Amino acid sequence: MIRSAAKALIARDLRMLWRRRGDSLQPALFAVLVAMLFALALGGEAQALSNVAAAVLWLAVLLAGLLALDTLFRSDAEDGSLEQWLLAPVPLAWLVAVRVFTHWATTALPLLLVTPLLAELLHLPREQLPVLLASLALGTPLLSLLGAVVAALTVGMPRSGILVALLALPLYVPVLVFGAGSVAAAAQGLDPSGALLLLGAGLVMASLLAPLAAAAAIRIALG
Amino acid sequence: MTYQTYVIAAYMVFVVVLLWDFVAPRIRINQLLRAARLRIARGASSHSNAMPDIPHQ
Amino acid sequence: MNPVVRWFHQLGSPPYFDRFAARWAPWGYGLGTLVMAYGIWAALFQVPADYQQGDSFRILYIHVPSAWMSLFVFGLMAVYAAIALIWRIKLCEILAMACAPIGAAFTVITLATGSIWGKPMWGTWWDWDPRLTSELILLFLYLGIMGLYNAIDDRRAAARAAGLLAIVGVVLLPVIRYSVVWWNSLHQGQTIRLLGESSIDGSMVPPLVAMLVGTKLWFIGSLLMRARADNLHRESGKGWVTALVEVKR
Repeated sequence: MIRSAAKALIARDLRMLWRRRGDSLQPALFAVLVAMLFALALGGEAQALSNVAAAVLWLAVLLAGLLALDTLFRSDAEDGSLEQWLLAPVPLAWLVAVRVFTHWATTALPLLLVTPLLAELLHLPREQLPVLLASLALGTPLLSLLGAVVAALTVGMPRSGILVALLALPLYVPVLVFGAGSVAAAAQGLDPSGALLLLGAGLVMASLLAPLAAAAAIRIALG
Repeated sequence: MTYQTYVIAAYMVFVVVLLWDFVAPRIRINQLLRAARLRIARGASSHSNAMPDIPHQ
Repeated sequence: MNPVVRWFHQLGSPPYFDRFAARWAPWGYGLGTLVMAYGIWAALFQVPADYQQGDSFRILYIHVPSAWMSLFVFGLMAVYAAIALIWRIKLCEILAMACAPIGAAFTVITLATGSIWGKPMWGTWWDWDPRLTSELILLFLYLGIMGLYNAIDDRRAAARAAGLLAIVGVVLLPVIRYSVVWWNSLHQGQTIRLLGESSIDGSMVPPLVAMLVGTKLWFIGSLLMRARADNLHRESGKGWVTALVEVKR
């Protein structure tokens, strides 16, 4: 039951996404734009850019994910499917977890794939790239999970864009700190694995707790 | 700026913020009670729940 | 029935709570003001100037109690919110939401006094040291909770949603604090900021205790007042509010 519900939800989400498959490129395009804007604002000089490249890339991915949060529950809230979730025989938290996973796979994974390209644009020192990718691989699902709680709290609100950002960004701080910080540590010659392990631990905890919190939030919003 | 100015500035911030904290709920309560009085004066039924949303803080 | 339990149930009745809050809030404000007045007077005129920091350390007597309150109120808000969510007690929803602006106010004081204290110390109005950075994030958490509460029309759903956010916030707060400390040590080395690091002389303690106690008393007064306002707002249109106003006339 649990597994079939998950498969059904994933299949449905992928089908809906396939109909609008161009949309899944949007977070990646946004990140490229943000990188470009930073380069323009900073003057485009290679040395200056490479000093801040890792941080800018982290921010670009973080902000792209923040904007993508809007699509996490919106269409289901609008067409009433979310209320069906409440009635499903499967735990709501499980459905939320599956949805967040699919959402991450379709919005954040393209971002991860685009990151090496962005790294070139911003003259990221080559040796920082593996740590950057590792921190993003651990950090983006964590951001998705935290963001899901905020999205669930504001589900059904018509103009919640900025509010979602204001609520989510303070919660994002530790992820950003350890994520970008791991690359900064590596750049300084320190060991990044401490920060990466913390991200990993956070990811495990969030995988368990965030769906529960988001489920409670959905019940509050729809109840 | 001498140290004294900084100290005074800090204590002034404290007093001003607490003053706001004192005044804001009072204003809101007065607004709510006044709205209730207006409803009585207009003869509205006591079980109408239509309440103009008064922004608080 | 146990009188304490009965009193709790009575508090849940909106008209009873209104009378209770109206009666006791002035005590909170009054006693708090008295105790803080002593604390401020002693801090400014009694305590000798600090050996290292001169007179500017007197700001500590405002900064430290405010910082403590900003954290304490957040924790209390989360506790009220948890009770409200688990047992669906309306009064706790109201109390939780009433905590937020007060906590935010103390956070603002902490940030402002920290900045003012730092100016003669660091030479700049702002420094991204872990404590101030954490307080700034805390302020955003408070503002977010207040913003979410205001954004939802249904007062009960709004309080529960904002309460859930408060609980999420309180769980993440230590993580945020730790991450900021780690970040600070990564980027700025192990420089320990001098805020509050001077050794405490015995005579320096009583005003601090007075301020710690005084701010708590004040908080009780303010909490009751704001809870009373929210209670009245939620119950407006009900018979007892009408009766209350008629009696006042």
